[in-house]
Amino acid sequence: MMAAAGARRVLWQRAAAQLRAGVAAAPRGARAASDLPKELMPGPYPRTPEERAAAAKKYNMRVEDYEPYPDDGFGYGDYPKLPNRSLHERDPWYQWDQQDMRHNWGEPMHWDFDMYIRNRVDTSPTPVPWHTMRKHFLIFLTTMLIMFGVGEMYPSYRPVGPKQYPFNDLYLERGGDPNKEPPVVKHYEI
Amino acid sequence: MGAHLARRYLGEAEAEPDPLRMPSFPPALGLPQRRERASVATAEQLAAARLPLEQRDYCAHRLVALLRCQRDAFPRVPRCRPQRHAWDACQHRDYVMRMKEFERERRLLQRRKRLLEQQAAAE
Repeated sequence: MMAAAGARRVLWQRAAAQLRAGVAAAPRGARAASDLPKELMPGPYPRTPEERAAAAKKYNMRVEDYEPYPDDGFGYGDYPKLPNRSLHERDPWYQWDQQDMRHNWGEPMHWDFDMYIRNRVDTSPTPVPWHTMRKHFLIFLTTMLIMFGVGEMYPSYRPVGPKQYPFNDLYLERGGDPNKEPPVVKHYEI
Repeated sequence: MGAHLARRYLGEAEAEPDPLRMPSFPPALGLPQRRERASVATAEQLAAARLPLEQRDYCAHRLVALLRCQRDAFPRVPRCRPQRHAWDACQHRDYVMRMKEFERERRLLQRRKRLLEQQAAAE
């Protein structure tokens, strides 16, 4: 019994040693995504051209493309200001590294990338220019309102007289005072 | 349909009746022995039947009979077809009376216009 327990402990220790050896067999320089070194984290707003160049290299961007957010106290630091375009506008047929996010490995991500995913905000251009759409809508709305107004001023009706109701035009039923004399309304056959 | 609207809004409005101001002539003018319309059902009976006010017209007694038949014969609804026809026929007669009232009003307005023109021509 004791010998079997001792043998099982040895097997466990041997398996753990092999696991550690497997981890150590990973290529040099590999690290977990949570283990970002300080040089790759976002930093303060770049003041000198050297700082700008270093920040552009850190974010995998060209120096002429790199534009940080303005330094007005909102805490963006040296994070690049990318165009506010949603992922809907990216080519759906190109083979991205991450096809659902339409994003390649190492590409700088937008500050609001979680807003611009394909389930959320869509900044795609409209098929028709905005001013054309607005003009058409206003023409339609104006025409409808004018026609409704004309219909109020000149209503259409059938060539019949009004419907006749008994009991003095339903005086009591419509809430007339039972103590007062109702106005007499008589209808005749024709 | 629409000729009366064209006459009223585009042509002579003084010879076309305005349905909101009808009747504008005394009821006995031109029709000496007119009978008064009377509702067959009383106001208390219509209130007991809990009819909506729009349906408490001169055909309401037919409608009450129809509703009673439907309540008694449910679910054999086709048994109430004679009552339904009676109510529809009464409504049709009522509508024809409305048409006749409109036409009477129109002819009286035209007559008045003619008399005024004759008077103006005589001066």
